[in-house]
Amino acid sequence: MLSTLASAADPTPMAAPKPLIEVQDLKVHFFTRDGVVRAVDGVDYGVNPGETLGIVGESGSGKTVSSLAMLRLVPPPARTVGGRILFEGEDLLTRTPKQMAALRGRRIAMIFQNPATSLNPIYSIGAQLSEILVWHEKASRRQAEERVAELLNLVGITDPLTRLRQFPHELSGGMKQRVGIARALLCNPALVLADEPTTALDVTIQAQILELLADLQARFHMSMVLVTHDMGVVARMANRITVMYAGRVCETADAATIFSAPQHPYTRALLESMPRIDQSYSRGARQKLPTIAGRPPNLLNPPAGCRFHDRCPEAIADCRRILPVETAIAPGHTVSCIRRGSPGIAA
Amino acid sequence: MGTARYIARRLIFSACLILGVSVILFAMINAIGNPIEILLAERPGMTDEVIESVSRYYGLDGSVTDRYFTWLWAILRFDFGTSIIYNQPVSEMLVTYGLETLKIQIPAILIALVVSVLISVMAATRQYSRLDFGVIAGAMLGHSLPGFFIGILLILVFSYWLGILPSYGAYSTRNMLMNSTLIDGLWHMVLPVGMLVFFNTATLTLLMRSSLVEVLRQDFITAARASGLPERRVVFGHALRNAFIPVLTYLGILFGVMLGTAPVTETVFTWPGLGALYIMAIQQLDYPLIMGETMIITFMLVGATLLTDIAYVAIDPRIRLA
Ligand SMILES: Nc1ncnc2c1ncn2[C@@H]1O[C@H](COP(=O)(O)OP(=O)(O)O)[C@@H](O)[C@H]1O
Ligand code: SF4
Ligand SMILES: [Mg+2]
Repeated sequence: MLSTLASAADPTPMAAPKPLIEVQDLKVHFFTRDGVVRAVDGVDYGVNPGETLGIVGESGSGKTVSSLAMLRLVPPPARTVGGRILFEGEDLLTRTPKQMAALRGRRIAMIFQNPATSLNPIYSIGAQLSEILVWHEKASRRQAEERVAELLNLVGITDPLTRLRQFPHELSGGMKQRVGIARALLCNPALVLADEPTTALDVTIQAQILELLADLQARFHMSMVLVTHDMGVVARMANRITVMYAGRVCETADAATIFSAPQHPYTRALLESMPRIDQSYSRGARQKLPTIAGRPPNLLNPPAGCRFHDRCPEAIADCRRILPVETAIAPGHTVSCIRRGSPGIAA
Repeated sequence: MGTARYIARRLIFSACLILGVSVILFAMINAIGNPIEILLAERPGMTDEVIESVSRYYGLDGSVTDRYFTWLWAILRFDFGTSIIYNQPVSEMLVTYGLETLKIQIPAILIALVVSVLISVMAATRQYSRLDFGVIAGAMLGHSLPGFFIGILLILVFSYWLGILPSYGAYSTRNMLMNSTLIDGLWHMVLPVGMLVFFNTATLTLLMRSSLVEVLRQDFITAARASGLPERRVVFGHALRNAFIPVLTYLGILFGVMLGTAPVTETVFTWPGLGALYIMAIQQLDYPLIMGETMIITFMLVGATLLTDIAYVAIDPRIRLA
């Protein structure tokens, strides 16, 4: 499209904002003794500047692995075997290790699921956070500590000067996660990857942490990828939502669309299994929430065809044979299901 | 900070331990019987009267408790009496021979520590590589071979076949190497230290590698990497220090093992240390020497444990309040 409408400020001829990071056909496989585990097997998603992308999926669907892939930190025996990860237009998979290291923590930072294990137990909070600043920004130890204290204050930690001298085991879980958040924000990253940041916390703390994240994200105009298995969390936090299942993407759309007009059968099933505010559940009744029968497939030998077919209420014979490919059914709404018009690859 | 209190508690505990050993040692020695009777038994013309007067001379005529406290008071002043066979103050001998023992053991442990850290880092950061398997296999082999076997092998190769290193003693009896006591001493240390390094490196590497592999899997390591810290800092600064904690406990034990096997080590290399002296003292029933040796070895062991306990606190903040 040789459009003359493109302005100097926006070289792309499209109205849509240019994504800050764009994951294209990402494949991360674990090369185990038993064979190749296709943990992430052709995943696409993108995050626009300043927005929160929620990635939802059951445990084991490849959310953590794909997040780590964005930092090029997939643990062995896993390897990123295909795809592109365009960050500010450049493919991270072609960066040198040194360039990658310079990006981590500075431009792209991560918040981990378990605050109890993601802080080094033998260094004080101040030591391990200021080390990062000293490294990236060549700050002096003192400047770094001042900035760390400032950030601790910002993430709602009272008396930060005392906390600086404390060790992780002296803090509560919620407090540790706040430190984890402060660590991610040290260098004002453009993108924060939050991998189930509240899963390991008490329910009462969860809400506080989510609120804090939303607040900080707006304040610093960061982009955020919020990984969770909890539809309730993305409902509160995300602008757009990507639903993952067994290492592939089912559906991506803006949050309102996902909740009001979900298209993929898996998305619908997830929503049905979500407790709703307008219904009350007694202790016993809570068990009666519809759940999705069956279990996700083994990714060692994923079934041919659609990976959801053995649990899908709408499955037809072709689903066992044809692997659906994500396709746009409306602007900004993509689905991968042959019954919603997605093209497929025959096995 | 509970650190001072923690150390004070460990000190008191150590003192009690040493006291306990002294009681047991004294009781056991006492159970053997009157040393005078045993030592002089075979001599001709031994009358009860002579035995009695000699016993009185050595202060062996009092009650057991009196004798214990007399002895305890003496050893607290670092007076272990006079060696019967060498006719020298035991305390002086303990210092001379003790230094010879430490002279090979401390360098051996330090060298083994550095070498095993380097090997472990190489292996653990390349887990399941050929190098890693090689390291595991080598360390297992080294760990299972008895130390004296390595010692004899070293002597065979370097002293007997190649003839480049001395196989016995701490110093040359006639001409010092390069006319220097220092160089000559170092030259003599090579083989015994080499044997101890070999043995300790194998054991420490096994331990350190598995500890490091375990730590490198932890979330906080991924988090350190995700923060952009260079791999060097992640491995040496974050992983190694954590991996070192279980190894530290073992260092105290390792020192104990080395002291315990000092008689073997020092016999293989005819090294004039506490181990060789102990064997001699026992063979000759040199009571003051046996007792002095036992106490000094206890002291060294307890000291090593105390040091590891303190190093523990320095490395691991979590046990400070425990
Ligand atoms: N160490 C491993 N070895 C083999 N497969 C693994 C390993 N770790 C993860 N996987 C595979 O990767 C898949 C995705 O894992 P993960 O990204 O952690 O899931 P999520 O974060 O969505 O719960 C898992 O279902 C599993 O099949
Ligand atoms: S492709 Fe078939 S099995 Fe897969 S989600 Fe659609 S209907 Fe269900
Ligand atoms: Mg996960």
